Formats: sequence, structure tokens, C-alpha cells
Amino acid sequence: MKMNSLITKCLFLALICLTSCSDDDEIIVVPKGDYENGLIISGEGSGAGTGSISFVSNDLSESENLIYKKVNNVELGTFLQSIAFDDDSAYIIVDNANTITVVDRYTFEFKNEIIVNLSTPRFMTVVGDKGYVTNWGSTSDDKDDFIAVVDLQTFAVDKTISVGNGPERIIAKDGKLYVSHKGAFTNNNIVSVITISTEEVEEITVKDKPDELFFNDAGDLVVLSEGRTLYDANWNVTGHTLASISTIDVSTLVIDTALDFELGAHPSLMVLDDNTIYYALGNDIFAMDADATVLPGASLLAAEGYLYGMAVGGNRIYATNASFTDVSTLNIYDLASQDKIDTKEIALGASKIYFN
Amino acid sequence: MKNTLFIAVYFISFSCLAQNDSLVNQLDVVLIQADKKLDKHSAGYKVERLNDSVIEKNIESFSNLLRFNAPIYLREYGAGGTSSASFRGTSASNTAVIWNGININSINNGQTGFNSLTVSLFDAIDIRSGGGSLEYGSGAIGGTIHLNDNLEFSSKSQTKNQAIASIGSYETYRGIYKLKVSQNKLAINAGISYNQSENDYPWLGTAFKNTNGAYQNLGINISGAFLISQASKLKLYTANYWGERFFSGELPNPTSANDKYQDLSNRNLLIYTNNQQRFNHEVKLAYLTQEYRYFENKAIEAYNFGSSRQFLINYNVSYALPNLNASISSYSEYESAYGKTDRIDERNRRQFSQSFIYDQNIKGAVFLDAKIRKDFNSDYEVPFTYALGVKAKATQQLFVRANGSKNFRVPTYNDLFWPGQGNLDLKPETASQVEFGVGFKNNQFSIDIGSFFIHAKDKIVWTPSGDPERPGIWVPINISDVKNKGVELVLHYKANFNKHAVQIDLNYSYTEAIDSETNKQVIFVPKHLANLNMGYSYKRFSFFFQQLFNGEVYTTESNSNDFIVPHYFVSNTGLDYRLLNGAKQQLSLGVKVNNLFDTYYVIQPRRPMPNRNFNLNINYKF
Repeated sequence: MKMNSLITKCLFLALICLTSCSDDDEIIVVPKGDYENGLIISGEGSGAGTGSISFVSNDLSESENLIYKKVNNVELGTFLQSIAFDDDSAYIIVDNANTITVVDRYTFEFKNEIIVNLSTPRFMTVVGDKGYVTNWGSTSDDKDDFIAVVDLQTFAVDKTISVGNGPERIIAKDGKLYVSHKGAFTNNNIVSVITISTEEVEEITVKDKPDELFFNDAGDLVVLSEGRTLYDANWNVTGHTLASISTIDVSTLVIDTALDFELGAHPSLMVLDDNTIYYALGNDIFAMDADATVLPGASLLAAEGYLYGMAVGGNRIYATNASFTDVSTLNIYDLASQDKIDTKEIALGASKIYFN
Repeated sequence: MKNTLFIAVYFISFSCLAQNDSLVNQLDVVLIQADKKLDKHSAGYKVERLNDSVIEKNIESFSNLLRFNAPIYLREYGAGGTSSASFRGTSASNTAVIWNGININSINNGQTGFNSLTVSLFDAIDIRSGGGSLEYGSGAIGGTIHLNDNLEFSSKSQTKNQAIASIGSYETYRGIYKLKVSQNKLAINAGISYNQSENDYPWLGTAFKNTNGAYQNLGINISGAFLISQASKLKLYTANYWGERFFSGELPNPTSANDKYQDLSNRNLLIYTNNQQRFNHEVKLAYLTQEYRYFENKAIEAYNFGSSRQFLINYNVSYALPNLNASISSYSEYESAYGKTDRIDERNRRQFSQSFIYDQNIKGAVFLDAKIRKDFNSDYEVPFTYALGVKAKATQQLFVRANGSKNFRVPTYNDLFWPGQGNLDLKPETASQVEFGVGFKNNQFSIDIGSFFIHAKDKIVWTPSGDPERPGIWVPINISDVKNKGVELVLHYKANFNKHAVQIDLNYSYTEAIDSETNKQVIFVPKHLANLNMGYSYKRFSFFFQQLFNGEVYTTESNSNDFIVPHYFVSNTGLDYRLLNGAKQQLSLGVKVNNLFDTYYVIQPRRPMPNRNFNLNINYKF
């Protein structure tokens, strides 16, 4: 596929060049690679197969699985947790392998890898020429969790910043890192705020199991806490803790609003698009204004199968129906009508969707 | 002498009655076995015996021994790692391992780890293909693997010693010592084995080595038999194992692996037999313990564990009907098992089973076993099971055989009690099967071609969609329905020409295991599986060559070609020279080359298996 499509694209480019030259148009758009202008979907993998990456073009005309393996002829291993991006590169994080594989974000050609000084890496964000990676450390120790600071020139872990148990998502804004602590193999209820220059760590207490977080258009930090299910010594369910969407003023680190879910509801997969918050409760996808003061009553649509990853963009909702024993399915819905537009076969254990 | 002779005659006539191509005994030596069921009640089944000389050729692991010598697919997570075995396209928990007649599959996960057992101390390993729940209980669906200690009474007191030592690539050291004492009324076997290896073989085509793959293990087995009176015997067996392994990493970053695993097992069995003219009584008491400890990080003391204790009491009585050339046997067994893990509080499971077996020999030409069994279990209903086996000799050399049975596998403790996920509503998996075979056997050559059909229902599968109330939570449910069919071929050839001796053994199987829902081949089931062993000896030299072919397997339910483990060929070879070749003392030196052609292969994705490697060994019998 790669060579052929490269040739096709060259020819196409030549054509465009010819036609555009005759049009006296000086702007030439050079394709950056096969995997531009589309979705990058990561699959965690399982005992049934390697973690892998799928590509679906924005016009939905093309889709391709195992793109990293096809380009580089090696597998990524398990479990592919997430991908971080900067202008040129994609950083593929495989937690069990303690590995970050660095590739060209548009060709997926291997560039480098980081295989030392990581310990169950989860998510990464890039600030300047540094990558900041959340690490769970050992299962049996909830005090050894850290943020690895990776030099993106040398691809070495320069130093680590010790943080509370179970750091998960990480985002950056104005010289600070914001980290949700879902709690790894146990539970936690904090968001860490790390000043990059001083490495000072402050903590905000939120509801149990904070996971997705982002900044809304007003510049406030929005955090989804999933809430816990409580068990007795015999692992019978004895109760729940509240789930909540918290909006935090980052200048004061105070929670402005907390929209609590009813007890027993455990929402997940929160994303932001066009200042609208989307989240999932079971298979139901809900939408609400980022400034809303109450949770929506009715869902937008019910996704098919095992809803394990979600993205909203370009007036579409993308939802994965994940399989861990086989290839997964991507369901694509029109945002306005909620009609299903298309489905694609995608990576085994498909979990995260990125726009490339 | 008279006693022994009586027993010898009795035993031989007994095994003739049961009609097996078994045991050639000299009249002054009596072979004592713990488990008579295998020999007595296998009419119509295919039973292959791996004797000590075969076992000694593959002492590096139980996995390798079976892979190169049996019609079984071994799934191994890198050399020395977690390993499971399956017959005829069934699952790993459908293979029962039987130690001296006792089922030793773990009650926690229903399986036996084929790299957490030392088998080099056993005198014989029997492999019976086909369902055996009737005799051996849960998990005996695809087939059973029997680890047997053979004790001997001898009219002339004798003591035999054997020591094997070997040194191999990747700092691999092995040592075995076995003692056998045979007397008129007393027989004792004792053995100790120790293995250790760095196991850090280079991964072909990569810059990596097998990282964190070291292992060491110690096995001590002791057994004894005492002739109390002409009619009664007491037998005692113990097997102890301690092993520590590190779990090697996988590509792309094997250096990330740092987990460690320890196994401990202790197995004890006491048998009293009383054989009268028509009635034979047998009482068995067994106490078995197993424990594993999993260290997620070898540098940290914390670990996860699972442990179990099992008590068994068993009373068997058989009544001979000499006029009919038949016998009726009753087997009653009560078992109480305690299992726990770091996440499951100790649970007790009690089980009682009762079975009846009728053997019939019709004019030395037709042999028939009819069997029924009912289990009563404290946790769930176990279905009534039955089996029928027939072997008929068309001529002295040509035979046909057939068997049919219904078998089961009970849910494991993990299936039932795993916190937040276990499912107490599970019922046992059941499988019905039939098999038909034809064979030919003479002094030099034997061949057996069989075809089988297995229909497994209510197979227990862990799935994230198992509980509609809780999507995304992995729970076990009875869902899968699989039909297996296939053909198996076994061939043995043995010949002597002057001082040249040649031996050829071949296994081939073709297996289709089709999931009824997807209509696709079940994952990790190779369609083609073959192994070949060739031996040649001349005077004091002997040479052997082993070849394995393992067909490609799918790893996804849809049989996606993107996710397969490719087929592989692997060959081993070896040469032995006997320095001493006396009646009392034999000493041989050997060299073995594993993976002769330096083939790159994987059994599990991203886990390359060892490249070409060498082993020097010394085997001294005195």
C-alpha cells in the first residue's frame, strides 16, 4: 500500500503542480505522509494480538489497520495506552512494555524509542522540547508514581517528578502541567498541578477517580471524576461514591462548579468540541454546554457494542465498539442527526481517537 | 519367591484380562503401579507411552518433551515461561494431568503449568488421547497425561542407581539422581532433580537477549511399596517440587520485564490393596498442596498468591467374573478442596463421585469397557457421564478400536469467585466425543489411524460483554459451543540389522476446531501438527534426530490474517557414546544440539524461542 500510494500521490502531485502552474497559483500543498488528514486510532492489543494503530481518512474513503507494523515491520506490543503528538512526531506509549516509540506523525516511520526509566507509562504531553509522561510505577507500590521528563532531542528521561498515586491524563497550559490521578490499580481523588520551572506540585481534591481533563473556552479546567464502586471484604458491591464533572479556576485552584451524577452512575470518555462537553454513561452518549449548570436529562444517542473510545469533531461523533479478542469497529455518527454514517474495521482493543 | 511368582502370574493374567499392549514382565520381577485404571480401562483408546529413554532425551522441560513426542500443542510464553497443553484443538483447561492416578490440575485455574513440574524423575509418562472424565474427573476432555512411578518387587534383592548431569548453553545446568531398590517384599524409588539456567539466549534478528528468563527448580520424589501378605500391599508416593522462574519480556522492549514466579507443590498418596480371588479392594488416601506466588516486581517483596489443599479418599472394589471373562469395578471418591488467592477468601468445595466400570473380554478378540459416573458437588450440578470403549482384533495384527464418552470441566475458583467478576451461576462445560481408529501392529511396525469428533458445549469464556448489566466488566459465562474434528496418525518402526538398530516414531494430526457462532477456527489451534523421532544405533554409538512441525495459528476469533502465529519447523539432534557397557555399569556421554538449523520461531507473538544451542550430558547407571 505504502509504495503504491506514494507513487499515486507523486503522480497526483505532479498533476496538481501542472494544473496549478497553469493557474499561476504559487501555493503547492505537499502531502506530509500517508496518514495525514484523518483519524489516528490506537488499539491497546491483548493476548489475541499486538497493540496497533489504524488510520481512517477524513473523507472516510480510506482506512488501514496496523499502520505502524506495515511501515516498520515490527509490532508495538501490549498495551498501547495512548499517543501524544507534537508538530512532527507521534509518541506511542505502550505501558506493559515500558516503551515510548517515536515516529513521524504523518508517515509513521520509526524515529527513535525510549525504553529505559519508564515504569508503566500512561499519557504524555509535549511542552517545547520536553515530553512529560505519567508513570504508575510498580503495581505493588502506590508511592513510586512519577512524571518522567523526556528530552525530545536525546530521547532520554532527564529526570522525574514524584507525584501522588496513579497519575493518568496530563495536559499543559501556561507553564503548568495538570495531571488527573485516577489511582492506577487502586483509587485516588486528586488533580496535581505542577509548575514546570520549579517542579512545585500542588494538589486539588476532586471526586473519586478523575480521568479526562481539558480546558474549556473560558480557560477553566474541566475534570471528569468517574466515582468508585465500593466492595466489602468478599467483593460484594456495598455502595458507590459520587461521580462528577468539576470546573476548576486554575488561578485559585478552587472548584467553581461540580456537577454531581446520581449515586451509582459512573460516566467516562469525556471530550470537548466547540465548547460542548460530551461524555458516556454506559453506552449512552450525552452532550451539554461547557457552561451548563445542570447535567443533561436525555442522551444524544446510544452507541453500539462496547463503547470504549470516543471523539467528536467535524460534526461527527466517532465511537469505538471495542473487541479485545478481535478487530474492533468504529461507528461514525452525524452530530446533528445522530444517524450512523459509516463503520470501519479498526484496531484490536480500539481505545483512543486522535485527529491528524 | 513363591509369593512373587504368584503375584507375577496374577498381574500378567490381570493385564491380559484388561488386554493392553502393556508391560512385558520377566517372571521374577513384578511391576507395581499406583494407577491400574489406565491399563485396565483404556480399550478403544490411543495410549502412547514415553519411557525413560525418551524422557532422558528431553529433560530440559516437560513442554519440550511433549512437543517433540506427543500429539499435543504446547503454548509456551517464551522458553521456560508459562506453558499449557491442549489435545485435539480443545483448550488448555481440557487437558488433565494425572499423577499416579490422581488429577493434579490446579483448582484455581483448572490447568497444569507444563513448566512448573519436573517430569524427569518419573519412570513413564503415558498420553491418552480422548475424554477421560469418567476415570479422572474434571478437565479430562481432550486427553490425559499420566505421570507414573513404577516400583518393582524382585525375587533377587537389587539396588540400581542412575545419575545424569548436563551442562548447556546459556549457563544451563541439570542434575538427576535416581535410586531403585527392589526386594522380595519391599520396593523403594527415590529421586532428586535440580535444574537451573540463565536462559538468556540471544533473540535472532534483534539486538536483544531473552531478558529476565532465568529459572531454577528442585524436585524430590520418593515412593515405596511393601508386600504385607500374599494378598495385600501398601504403597506410598510423594512428589515435591519447588521452582522459581522469572517471566521473560517480549518485543519491542524485553528489558521492561521484572516479574518473578514461584511454585511449590507437595503431593502424597497412600494406597492399600487387597486382592482376593474374585474381589480386589483398594483404598486410596491423598493429600495435595499447591501454591504459586507471583511477584510483579522481583525487587519488591510483595506478591500475589494462590494456594490450595486437597484431601481425597477413594475406595475401589472390583469383582471378577471368570466365567464371562469379565469384571465389574466400583470407584467411590470423596474430595474436599480448599482454595484461596490473595483476592479470594478460602473456599471449600466438596465433591463425591461414584462410577462403575464393566470390562469384558470376548474370546481374546474383542475387548470392551462400559463406564458410568455421577458426581455430586457442593457448588454446582455436574452432569451424569458415561463412556464406552471397544477394541476388536480382526487378526493377530490388525485391529479396530472405537470409543465414545461424555466429559466435563468444572468452573475453577477463579471463574467462580474472582472478586467483582466471578460468576456463581456457571455450570460445568460438557463435551461429547466419539473416536474411531484402525491399527496394525507386529514386532517391528505399528500404525494407528484415528478420527475423532468432539462437541463441547457451555464452554466457559471470559468476556467484557458477559453481563448485560455491566458492559465492559470481564466476566466468565457459559457461552461457547465448539465442534472439533480431525485425524491422527501414529507410526512406530523398530528394526535391527546385525549391530545396527533403527527406530522411527511419527505423530501427525489434522484438527479443525470450529466455533459454532463464528464458524471459524478456534484461536491457538494449529490445523497441522507433526513430530518425528528417528534413532539409529551402532555398537556403542547412538544417534537421534527430532523434527517438529507446528502449523500456523490464528489469534483472533475472526481468523484475521493480520493476527497469526506463523508455522514453524524445529529440529534437534544428538549423539551418545557408551563408555561403559557392562551388565552392572553403563556410562554414556552425549551431546545434543537443539534448534539445529538456527530457526527463528515464536510460539507466542513477540517472544522469540531459543536459537541453536548445545548440551553435553553424562548418564551413569550403576
